[in-house]
This record gives sequence, C-alpha cells and structure tokens, in this order.
Amino acid sequence: MSATSALARRALADSRVRNLSYALLFALIAYANVIGYRDTYPTLKDRLGFAHAFGANASVRLFYGEPHELLTVGGYTAWRVGGFVSIFAAMWGVLAAVRAMRAEEDAGRQELVLAGLLSRRDCFVAVLAAIGAGIAALWLALFLGLLGGGLPVAGSAYLALATVAVVPVFVGVGALASQLAPTRRLALELASAVLTLALVLRVIADTASGVGWLRWLTPLGWSEEMRAFSGSRPLVLLLPIALAAVLLAAAGRLSVRRDVGRGLLEARDSAEPHMRLLSSPTALALRDERASFVGWLLATGFFALIIGLISTSVSSAGISNDLQRQLRKLGAVSITKPSGYIGLSFLFFVLAVSLFSCSQVAAARHEESEQRLETLFALAVDRRRWLAGRLGLALAGAIAISLAAGLLAWAGAAIQNADVSLASMLEAGANCLPVALLFLGLAALAFAVKPRASAGLGYGLVAIAFVWQLFGGLLGAPRWLLDLSPFQHVGLVPAQPFKLGAALVMLVLAALACTGAVWLFQRRDLAGA
Amino acid sequence: MAPAIQAQRLCKRYGDTLALDALDLSVDAGEVYGYLGPNGSGKTTTIRLLLGLHRPSDGRAELFGLDAWRDPVAAHRRVAYVAGEPFLWPALTSAETFAFLARLRGGTDETYRDVLVDRFQLDAAKKVRALSKGNRQKVQLVAAFASRADLLILDEPTSGLDPLMEMAFRETVQEAKQRGQTIFLSSHILSEVEALCDRVGILRSGRLVDEGTLADLRHLGAQTIEVTFAGRAPSLPQLPGVSVASAGANALRCEVTGSVGPLIAALAEHPVVALTSREPSLEEIFLHHYDTSDGRVGD
Repeated sequence: MSATSALARRALADSRVRNLSYALLFALIAYANVIGYRDTYPTLKDRLGFAHAFGANASVRLFYGEPHELLTVGGYTAWRVGGFVSIFAAMWGVLAAVRAMRAEEDAGRQELVLAGLLSRRDCFVAVLAAIGAGIAALWLALFLGLLGGGLPVAGSAYLALATVAVVPVFVGVGALASQLAPTRRLALELASAVLTLALVLRVIADTASGVGWLRWLTPLGWSEEMRAFSGSRPLVLLLPIALAAVLLAAAGRLSVRRDVGRGLLEARDSAEPHMRLLSSPTALALRDERASFVGWLLATGFFALIIGLISTSVSSAGISNDLQRQLRKLGAVSITKPSGYIGLSFLFFVLAVSLFSCSQVAAARHEESEQRLETLFALAVDRRRWLAGRLGLALAGAIAISLAAGLLAWAGAAIQNADVSLASMLEAGANCLPVALLFLGLAALAFAVKPRASAGLGYGLVAIAFVWQLFGGLLGAPRWLLDLSPFQHVGLVPAQPFKLGAALVMLVLAALACTGAVWLFQRRDLAGA
Repeated sequence: MAPAIQAQRLCKRYGDTLALDALDLSVDAGEVYGYLGPNGSGKTTTIRLLLGLHRPSDGRAELFGLDAWRDPVAAHRRVAYVAGEPFLWPALTSAETFAFLARLRGGTDETYRDVLVDRFQLDAAKKVRALSKGNRQKVQLVAAFASRADLLILDEPTSGLDPLMEMAFRETVQEAKQRGQTIFLSSHILSEVEALCDRVGILRSGRLVDEGTLADLRHLGAQTIEVTFAGRAPSLPQLPGVSVASAGANALRCEVTGSVGPLIAALAEHPVVALTSREPSLEEIFLHHYDTSDGRVGD
C-alpha cells in the first residue's frame, strides 16, 4: 500500500504547477462573474434587458452554452462559468491523464516503477488517485470563487460539481488514448480530437435551432444539463460518472494486458526509406510536424465550417442603445447579422492559432529536451538558423490554418446564402495572425530565456490573456489594464474593420520578440529534460 | 527449490519481427549468469519478458517459480532491476530517487546504501537532470544493490561507467555473490562477463546459440597451439579438426578443435623446440559464434 501511495504522491507532485494554475484561474473566473453580473445588472429591469438580448444569442452561446436562467446572479454565473470553465476543465483532464500515464512511459520510467512491487493495476490506481486529488482541488477553487462572490453555499457547491463533472470523462479519454498511442504526443492529439468533437457537438446543440437534443451526446453538454441555479437535475451526474467508469475500466484493462513502453496502435518499427524532407533541420521538423499540421488544419477547418453554416440562425431581436453599451462591456458586437456572428466567433480562431503557435515552440523545446539539439549543433548547423527555421515553420503553419478557417467559414456561410464575401472572410482569417504571431514571439522568448518552463509559459500567457479579455471587464478593471490583453485589440472582422494600427504594433512586437529570442537562444546553454 | 530464473520456449514477436525465438533458460539461485549478445540480439527483450513488462508471444518465464507475466508483483518482491538506459525522474535528487525507489520496492538496506554511495562517489544532493549518463547509471546501480534483492537483473549495467567505477561495480557484484544473491548480467563487455560470471549464455538473433560454464565453452571452442621448431617449420599433413597457419619462419600456429592427440603425434617426427597452448578467450568464442555460416550478426 505504501508503494502505491508513494507513486500517487509522486504523480501529484509532478502535476502541482498545472493544478495550481488551473485552480487559480478557475477561482478567478468564478469570482469575477458573480461580482461582475451583480455590478453590471443591479436591477431586475437591467437583467430582463440583458436576458432579452442574450437569451437567444447564438454567438455568445458558442463559448458559454445555452442559458436557462438569466435573471439571478446564480443563473447567470451558472451559464457563464459552467459552460466556459468546463471546456478548460476537460482540457485539464486530458492533460493530467496523458501526462501521468503515457508521458511517464514515453520517458522510460514506467519500466523501473513496474520492476518494483507495484502491479500495473496499482500504478493505474495510484495515478488516478493523484488525478482525483487534482479534480478535488479544481472543485474547491471553483466553490471558493463562487462563495467568495456571494453565492449561497449549496448552490456554489453544486455548480462547481456540475462544472468539474466533465473532468473524469476526459481523464478517461486521456487514459484510453494513453493505452492506444505509443507516444505522449499522439496520445494528446487523439484525446484532443475527442475533446474537439465534444465541443463541436455542444456548439451545434447550443447555437443551431432545433437540435438541442444533441447536447445529450456530448459530456460537455451534460454539465449544462445539470442546470445549476435553474432547477437542478443532479441525476444527470450519473451520465458522466457512468461514462468515466466505462472509459477508465477499459483503459485499466488494457493497461494490464499490453507491453509496457508500446501502444496498442502499433507503431511501425521498419519502413521503406523516404528521402524527402531530410535536406535541413527545418525540413526534418516539417516532416515531424506534418501529421500535427494536418490535425490542426482539419480541426479548425471543421469548426470554421460549422460556424459558417450556423451563422444565419441568429435571432434578430432588437437591442436598445443602452444595452449596446453594456454589450460592448462584454466585448460583443452587433450580432444579429451573420457577419457579426462570424466576427465574434473568430475570436475563437484567434485563440486556436495562438495555441498552435505555442505548440510549435513546445515542439522545438521537445527537440531540445530530448537532447536531439546536441547532436544537431555538434554538426555544422547554426543555432540561429535552426530557431529561425522553426519559427518560420510556425509562421507558415499559422498562416495556413488562419486562411483555411476563413475559407471554410465562408464556404459554410455561402451554403446558407449568407451575405459575406470570400475576401472579407479571408481577411477575418488573416486577422487571427497578429495576435497569434505575437504569442509566437513571446513563447519563443520564453524558450530562449526559461527553456524548461517555456511550454507552460507560452500556453499560460495565451490562456490568461484570453480569459482576461472575456472577464476582465466584469471586474471593473481600468481600461489600460484591460488593454494589456492582445485579444482586446482584435477587430471583429468582418463585422468591424480590421484594426490596422493595433495589428502593426503587434506584428512589430512579434518580430522584435522573435529576433530577440533567436539572439538570446544563441547565447544560452542547451538544457536537457 | 525453484530456480531463480526459468524460461521455457519463450518467444516474442513485435509485428513481423521475431525478437526472441524459443528461449530455454535456467539460472539457479546463487549463480552469476552472463547473458551475452550483440546489439539487437534480444537481450533487453528477454529481460522485459522476465520482468513481465512485455507479454510473451509464446512460452513462459518464471522467477523463483512465479509466472513473470501473470504474477509479476509477487515475483518482483525478490528482484531488483537496473535498466539499460538510466531513465529517472529529472527533478529528483539522487537521495530522493533512492527514497522513492525504496518506497516502491518496500524497503532497502540503508547502511549498505551509504557504503555504496561512497564507493560509487555519488553526490546524493545533485538533481538527476544535472547528472551525466554514467552518474545516473550509478544511481540505478546503488538503488538496486542496496535493496539486497535475491535476484538482480542488470541490463548492460556498466555502460557509461569509467574504469574505476567498473572496478567498484565488480567489487559490488562479488559481495552480492558472497551473500548468495543471484545475478543475471546482460552485457557485451566480455572481460566483465569473464571476470564475474559462473555461467554464460550466448544469444544470437533471438536464439540461445551456446551456453555453459566458461570451461565448457572453452572446451567447445578451438584452442591455439603455437609450435616453434629448430630450423624451418615443416609442412604438416591435413589433420581432422586442425587448421595450421604460418607464424614466422620457424613457427606454426595451429587452431585445434577437439582432441590435440593427432597434432601431437604428427609433431613427434619434427624437432620441436617449444610448444605453447592457450585456451580460447571468451572474445574468440563469441566471435566464433557470429563469424560463421550466413554472416548475420543479430538483427
């Protein structure tokens, strides 16, 4: 037993940075929403106006899900926190499972653990115990955030529970992917694909009319259906519990049956030689990243197509001038037209392309931590050229993904005969780039200065900036503080004009950051794992 | 008493590759067994099957009579393992690694561990990520030997060690042997195996091609006999099991497999001044097994 608990504590220690940062983020979002709503809509009249404008609004539902009760602080918070935070919580579940399961095996440490007194089942249980402790921490953070904002105890506890209810399911998805995939990276990609699909299903269910039943097909929808603060349905909790149990049981069974260090998806051990893309380190990086690029392209493209297809199903409720002002406080635009809907939705793609940029820097860091760079730089390879090549690759990928998103959103809208031009949609795609490239530069700087922390720093900056843009306004933060988030400076093309000035500033900063990163990288020691 | 290691018709296939082909192996308690083979011959695969990390495609492996795949935990109670690559937890120090691995093993001999830390000159306060490969290997070795497990399974344990540490390793193995511990030493460093092992198995392309004590293996191998004559070396007749090469004007070098009787009889007619005989080294036995027939060396 003590061996199991030693391993569980080791896994918990490994994940403490991730657990803490997610918990803080969750607490902040929960607190900000409670406070923000109460301050922004103090009277019933305000709230009725708000509900009228937002209740049926597809674009806002994209992020937050379907609202059930918008006249109380609790109902509003349940909508904003439950729908949005559950996506991040699901992401946490995938990361936690893959990190503790496949990544340990990928790094070769699992052999040593299993050569000791722990059975595979013990290992699986130990890791799940550590993840369970993490879920409890997330729940507690949400609960305290809601309680701190002034919501009642029982309601806060239930909403926090409804929000983290998705986590065990995605831990199960991550655990299963860890059994299938032979590498950490493939496991993450498989599990993320499932998460994306679950999100797409929820988005369709929440935004398109007449397909609300689809919500029952996605774990992210179950969170909503638990209806915190609007006629609670605690029995719905049985759905995620049952699915998580099935997934984890399957993963557990597979984990005791297979060869350690290998996945069930057999990686081919021999292959005919393919000599393409071996001419330079950058070419080889492209060769390594091909599958990942295709995955990003497919996922964003698919999502963009959906956005385009549902862009015409927006209600055209009249919105008063007074409310317009308040909407702007939440970062909204005139959303009664397809162009407005698409413009707001494209904030999502700004986020996605930014995350893609971070993933490319993380891949570069991976080459270093695997000590492949030592082999490379022992050859006649210039460090600056190598990093410049990697960043160039990320740039090309970001451009491709952005334009694909624009193109497919246009295609979807065109099918519905929406009034948006191809040119304006490509512009909307390109509009993702300044922010994404700025984050590419910042992540590259982190890589050059703090290599071991760089992946976390890159993703963390993007997440904080995005959340700040969505919720900072609710806290009544001063303008200059809000403006620190690059997402604040995105013109909602095609509904709003492209903000040339802001874009230029971001691009110049991005170029400076990238140049600085290349310069600094040349001067530092290579750092192993 | 059940042998420490017993493998019967043990097979492992990875896709189309046959990594291990019907291995029969038996190592008694208290033995030091050398497991020799070139890269890719199946040494590590064997160890993974012995530890129940990979599932046999066919046959079975037992440690102390316990099935390695079906009952790994019970088997591991008496086993310590040193992996071929020192993959450890980069953020832990050596001391923390020892404590963690001891927890996973269910205990360790801390006094002996301190002796070993001194002997291997480890700085236990250093984080694993700051250690060289050789030093990480030492961390693994100290953790394994300090456990005082009945069976030590060592996968190329001295790769990355300097000659001084190699000596420390040999000393530690001798101590373990005196205590009656069993050691399964996979290696391709022949001098090490020659110095430490009671019995040796030679693996080639997943098959055990030879096995026995060093004396047994030598008996099967060719011995070298050098003969010096007074005057020019004569030309000898064709003899069964003897190949003759010139070794200077007055000398011949004969490789003899089997009995030396016919050679001695043939030499009796000539003015022999000196005759030296040398048993084959393990290296020669080893090369003999890989040089012959189809010329394949491993996979």
